[in-house]
Amino acid sequence: MQGGTDMLFFWVALWCYLAATVGASVYAGTRKDGVRTIVFFVTLLGFASNTGALVMRSVLSGHPPVTNLFEYLSFFAWAIVLGFLIIWRKKGLELLTAFASTVAFAMMAMASLFPTDVSRQLIPALQSYWLWIHVSMAIMAEAAFAVAFVASLMCIMGDRRGHTRLPNRNLLDSIAYRAIGIGFPLFTVGALFAGAVWAQRAWGTPWSWDPKETSSLIVWLVYAIYLHVRRTRKGSIALTSGLSVLGFTLTILTILGSKFLGGLHSYG
Amino acid sequence: MTLWLLVVAVIVPTVFLKKFRRWLSSMTGAVWILVGLTVMSLLGVMIGQNLSPDAYTHRYGQVVGSFVYRSGLSDIFTSWYFLLLVAVLAASLVACSFGRLRKLAAARGAGRASRAGSLLLHLSMVVILAGGAVTAVFGFRYPAPVYLSAGDEMEVPEGGFTIRVDAASTEFSDEGVIADYFSDVVVIEDGEEILSHRIEVNSPLVHNGVGLYQHEMLPSATSVLEVVFGIVVLTEDGELPLATIAVPFNEEFELPGTDITLKVLEFLADFTYDIESRTASLISLSHRNPAVLVRISEAGSVIGDRWIFADVQTHRDDTGLPCRLFLFDYLPDYERGLTRFELSRQPGTPLLFIGFAAMSLGLCLTFWTRTGRPSTPRR
Repeated sequence: MQGGTDMLFFWVALWCYLAATVGASVYAGTRKDGVRTIVFFVTLLGFASNTGALVMRSVLSGHPPVTNLFEYLSFFAWAIVLGFLIIWRKKGLELLTAFASTVAFAMMAMASLFPTDVSRQLIPALQSYWLWIHVSMAIMAEAAFAVAFVASLMCIMGDRRGHTRLPNRNLLDSIAYRAIGIGFPLFTVGALFAGAVWAQRAWGTPWSWDPKETSSLIVWLVYAIYLHVRRTRKGSIALTSGLSVLGFTLTILTILGSKFLGGLHSYG
Repeated sequence: MTLWLLVVAVIVPTVFLKKFRRWLSSMTGAVWILVGLTVMSLLGVMIGQNLSPDAYTHRYGQVVGSFVYRSGLSDIFTSWYFLLLVAVLAASLVACSFGRLRKLAAARGAGRASRAGSLLLHLSMVVILAGGAVTAVFGFRYPAPVYLSAGDEMEVPEGGFTIRVDAASTEFSDEGVIADYFSDVVVIEDGEEILSHRIEVNSPLVHNGVGLYQHEMLPSATSVLEVVFGIVVLTEDGELPLATIAVPFNEEFELPGTDITLKVLEFLADFTYDIESRTASLISLSHRNPAVLVRISEAGSVIGDRWIFADVQTHRDDTGLPCRLFLFDYLPDYERGLTRFELSRQPGTPLLFIGFAAMSLGLCLTFWTRTGRPSTPRR
């Protein structure tokens, strides 16, 4: 079954996120508060539309909108924008939050490449309340990693180009750490723990070294390295920022990986 | 045996070598161990695991493919070097926890919660690894999937009981997609039926520590509900146009307007033929090369029995028949489906989940209490 009104809302959200990204670039050049306000409202409009699309899809399908890559990436974009909106008013992070829509736009654009069909019938493997717990917590964790990614990327850009217009790098580093401090426990509990409990019930083993499981472990290990390196004297901001960027890149590859690597998680 | 060797290989230097012990409990040591595990896991995903030697040769060439297979990279997560690194990680976690315990004892005030969380986090990982080790040593996983049909009985290996499948069925939604599949089984112990259970994907049967998990449901490999033939009737005046006709399984069916009768006697989902014994049989349970044995009669007398395939090219011997047939389609028989179970016993799972629960608590205390906040500024 093809999506209906939810797809209209999806496209409105996608174009709003693109417009907000362009607006953020203008703001980066001009630093005019008015431009940032416009970016905020366009982002908010995109977020509202994204919310509408997800709610409509849930109503249409009768289950959480996380059962294929299109739905997962749309939800992921929504969670990323939510993460940035939470820290929108924080002083000194005006430029960081202005780019909230950029990563969300990338996710929506990727989502649009996958089949958008709605099915009311879940396959037997997904008929469990663990679907909602496991996937939604993983998405929230990954959204926190996305916030850390943008902050870390700005740290690296500031280092490379000596940008004085970028936010203070200690503040960016602190934001990245706090975001990972939220994302890492959520990822451990949602993606790994809840996933293991569900896998035990469904497949008879909590861990089977499936490509998606192993990729998630790799993501977890990279952020564990980040947290350890940050506590050593050798752990410069440049190094930890690099690890944060690497962690998020691997997160994206993990999300898309099941499509190409196959295994037990290849549903959508 | 390998596990014990690994434990000794890690414990001996940890106890007797002070430098190694210091490295194990250091942050630098932890980082390098984590980097090692990351690299090995990446290799595992990128190379692809548990494929045949030929698959690696095809993918990477003769030299590299052979190296991948012989070095254990093709099954990296059970290789001695991966397990050794996991054992080093466990030793590092224990060594590091001693240091954290001392710091926790010395800590005063608000910092205690965060330190306690960090200690719990590290110790919980030891519990998780212990859970994995318990399953590796005492657990069991039946090496092949088990396929059963309604009416079949099976003695469950290492379970000390027998199961009988009373029903194995698939339900479809209005959209025509699979809505659910389930197997109704009865557990028989010492000749007595002691319980019955419906096994579904997220609802396994666990008895005497052995679990039966529903993996999939295949339509029957030896029966179908209906066969659709492509048929060309041959008359004295020539051939009639190609038509399709649906014939119920194991019932006589007279072709309209003719005195030709068809009866589907047998169905094989994946056909193979032994020339010596002249018998047809199944080569697998999947529907890769379906074939039906059809009895063709004309005016009440049997003309012959023929195996009919989907691939028209396989039809050579049509001589003497009043029609030409090929297998166009068929309606699979899900009522007499084959249920696929995975069998396993995972005695380390409770320990694993206790470890995960402790880890979750430890993470919350470490990161979400007031003292778990970052220290700034840094370089």
